[in-house]
Amino acid sequence: MKFPWGDRAQRKKELNEEIASHLQMAARDREGRGESPAQAGEAARRELGNAGVIQDVTHDQWAWTWLEDLLQDLRYAARTLRKNPGFTVIAAVTLALGIGANTAIFSLVNGVLLRPLPYAQPERLVGTTQYFPKGPLVVMRQQSRTMELVGVSDNKEFNLTGSGDPVRLIGNSVSADFFSMLGAQPAMGRTFHDGDDQPGKDQSVVLSHALWEHRFQADPNVVGRWITLEGMDREIVGVMPADFRFPSPKTELWVPLHLDPPNTGDYWGDSYMALIGRLRPGATLEQARAELKTMRPLVLAAYAWRMPDNSFVNASIVSLEEAIVGDARGKLLILLGAVSLLLLIACANVANLLLARATTREKEVAVRVALGASRGRILRQLITESVLLSLLGGALGMGVAVSGLSVLKATLPADTPRLADVALDGQVLTFTAVLAILTGVIFGLVPALGASKVDMTVTLKSGGQRSASGGNHRASKLLVVGEVAVSMILVIAAGLLVKSLWILSGSSPGFRSERVVTARITPNEMFCDVSARCVAFYEELLNRTRALPGVKNVAAVNGLPLGGGAEIFPGAIEAHPTPDGAKVPMFWEKIVTPDYLQIMNIPVLRGRAFTEADSAADAQAVVIVSKSTAEHFWPGQDAVGEHFRPKWEQEWRTVVGVVGDVREFTITQNSADWIDGVIYTPYGPHAIRGSGAAAPPAEMTLVIETAGDQVQIAGELKNTVASLNHDVPVSQIGPLKNWVAEAMAEPRSTSALFAVFAALALLLGAVGIYGVVSYSVAQRTREIGIRMALGARRQEVLLLVVGQGAKLALAGVAIGIAGGLMLTRLMSGLLYGVHATDPVTYGAVAILLMFVALAACFLPARRAMRVDPMVALRYE
Amino acid sequence: MKQGYQNRIELLQGTLDLLILQTLRWGAQHGYGIALAIRANSGDILQVDTGSLYPALHRLERQKLIAAEWKLSENNQRVRVYRLSAAGKKKLAAERSRWAQISQAIAGILGPAGEESEA
Repeated sequence: MKFPWGDRAQRKKELNEEIASHLQMAARDREGRGESPAQAGEAARRELGNAGVIQDVTHDQWAWTWLEDLLQDLRYAARTLRKNPGFTVIAAVTLALGIGANTAIFSLVNGVLLRPLPYAQPERLVGTTQYFPKGPLVVMRQQSRTMELVGVSDNKEFNLTGSGDPVRLIGNSVSADFFSMLGAQPAMGRTFHDGDDQPGKDQSVVLSHALWEHRFQADPNVVGRWITLEGMDREIVGVMPADFRFPSPKTELWVPLHLDPPNTGDYWGDSYMALIGRLRPGATLEQARAELKTMRPLVLAAYAWRMPDNSFVNASIVSLEEAIVGDARGKLLILLGAVSLLLLIACANVANLLLARATTREKEVAVRVALGASRGRILRQLITESVLLSLLGGALGMGVAVSGLSVLKATLPADTPRLADVALDGQVLTFTAVLAILTGVIFGLVPALGASKVDMTVTLKSGGQRSASGGNHRASKLLVVGEVAVSMILVIAAGLLVKSLWILSGSSPGFRSERVVTARITPNEMFCDVSARCVAFYEELLNRTRALPGVKNVAAVNGLPLGGGAEIFPGAIEAHPTPDGAKVPMFWEKIVTPDYLQIMNIPVLRGRAFTEADSAADAQAVVIVSKSTAEHFWPGQDAVGEHFRPKWEQEWRTVVGVVGDVREFTITQNSADWIDGVIYTPYGPHAIRGSGAAAPPAEMTLVIETAGDQVQIAGELKNTVASLNHDVPVSQIGPLKNWVAEAMAEPRSTSALFAVFAALALLLGAVGIYGVVSYSVAQRTREIGIRMALGARRQEVLLLVVGQGAKLALAGVAIGIAGGLMLTRLMSGLLYGVHATDPVTYGAVAILLMFVALAACFLPARRAMRVDPMVALRYE
Repeated sequence: MKQGYQNRIELLQGTLDLLILQTLRWGAQHGYGIALAIRANSGDILQVDTGSLYPALHRLERQKLIAAEWKLSENNQRVRVYRLSAAGKKKLAAERSRWAQISQAIAGILGPAGEESEA
């Protein structure tokens, strides 16, 4: 269809001519019947009627009229908004807040949950829900008909030595066909060849773009260079492009898996890693899931020893996106829910403003009706106006979203999956535009329906001062009640989260963090192949550190609490033999030097702490267990004197002490769900290694008790380490307090976001109540004047006004409490130490909301008290 | 006022469309001619309102039931002339039989009532 504007103008001209010719013919016929020309023309015109209206109605029969109407409506709407700058600014800013917050959170949801992964055919990519060692990976790679599977280790660390200061880099071991499976091409050189993960051929390394730029000065000839990583010489074979960030943005290099079946402990027992894959053509996710189940017995049969019957039983296949995003999904959806509630409040507020204004516009609407506008036409005009308003708000909201998003990205924990992919892109812009238009229609509809119903005779007669606006006012009261209810829900949610955070920061992690400085010492793993060399290094390091100024004491541990790392291994308890095929208890092990417990202030509840003598090679091997471990395995008994050993050893070790529980895993969890106990072993020959290695771990963290929290010893510490060994990087030197604070980053960011939402909700809610109450005071000025003239006192007027606001707020609060009871259950996963229906929080929030509501009534109430009866009565 | 016209169009729409199509069956005609023909053929009973006629003509034209072109009248005046299209002929046949049914039905309803009142 083609209706260019020129054509339309032409048609209007033609219609004009058509009607003119009609008139001429009619007049000529009349003249033929004997009328005078003047008479005939006049009569013909009278018979025809209003030519303008006829043309107008005829235009409406042509298609595309609506476009013309729309332009006209837009021009009219723009003029109206310009004429009321105060209203326009308040409404647009309110909407900008609502739309902007939604845009920011949506771009987060879009980047993390919705945007397809940036790899070839991302919908075909899958991942396992559990980790597997190398052996099972190889078995399944051979067996699977539905998937191409590759292994990706968790982030590992590699010392880069031999060129300048030793540095610790983050990298991942991956199957040789990892890159080709994802369909990722290198920016330079090549990725791995088939078989690059076999021993002897696994000396290659692929660099990330960032590492190549920063550490290798973007050297175009870097491919083919040899570097020393973890004491091993490797050839740089390729550099990936900047947008390749798998498995995480922190990854700086990739090395091939080292598939060495004779190394049984590593190949079958340790080195658990994530498996990802690509569905083969024609295969479905369900088939892959079913196949994984059928492969499980084959995997278990491939072991040289009997695995527990339920090993890998819960493993399943999910889309890679789901595997990556994991728990972040629920939290993001809750955030999205919260901002949409915020938008709802903003809508209610603007709808209220429009309702209040609709009353003053009744006369205008009545005049338009009288001039022949149909109800539909007026409705369309009013909706156009509100959509224009919300588009304005949307445009402003983009500004809010841009700054909000940068704050969000800074506030959210850095390990939020795919955070780097989050951006304001075309999809987000489309979302905002659609949201703005929808918003405009939603908040515009109620007031427009009311306004377009105007009874023109009543309105025009009444002179426009007071008219039948009772319906409007009832609608606006309902809106305010709804608004208060929704605000209430948001503030309750924020209150629960803030209380969680408060309880969390008040609860002890089980150790002290004041006046302790920590530093990671990370020699190459190979350095500790010779156990004595490693032990001597740390002994000397501890002695020299202890002698540094300001240092009171120092100890070493294999990883800090709160997720700093631990050895994990299967164990056996003499009192509880594990039947064949049952799940073997897993242990979380802290390898410590004797002063560790004392420096960290971890209380010895029973028995004793370690002594220097426990570390001697010829000493009897002893362990210490945590309080909940003792209660779990030896309930009601004294654990001291009981016996324990790693699964693969024959000799029992004696428990010599029980110490307090420590938040080893996260700020809320002592250890991971699948861990059965926490034990301590002395650093030295008796340390238990999950890999079964005989030597103690190479990486240790120093915990240094200092006179203050300052880190002045950083330089001296680095010098001390360098004087002992040039190739040992020292990293993460800082107060233990900062480490604890970092562990709180996630709950803190969630609470902060909700607090901001709640503050906005309170503000908007207060503005809503203020608007309705002051509007009603303005409407009732005359009534108040009469009351005062009849002797009402100011306090009574105050009560009248405040009481009205309080009634609305109370209704809103009651509905909000009911809504909160229903909705906050959804966020119980984010709460700690607080029940989702915590009565204290609900009560406090209800009081807060009532207080804010009454404060919002105060200004209009004061205005009402100052009403001068004489002026008020003369007003009309 | 515009509203008023629209209401009348809605009331008359089906009937007026039928009358226009029927009139054009005898040959192409301009708007004024159509109005005259309807009046004459109804024995001056049906007065076609111009405010309804032109919107109806343009609506029928948009529905491709009639086609329009500019011609010179016998008085050498430029007039817009409408003629029935193939689709319009088909529509007219369908509308005629529908109209016959309806008028029969209405006559059926009115008939007995009239007899009763006479009785």
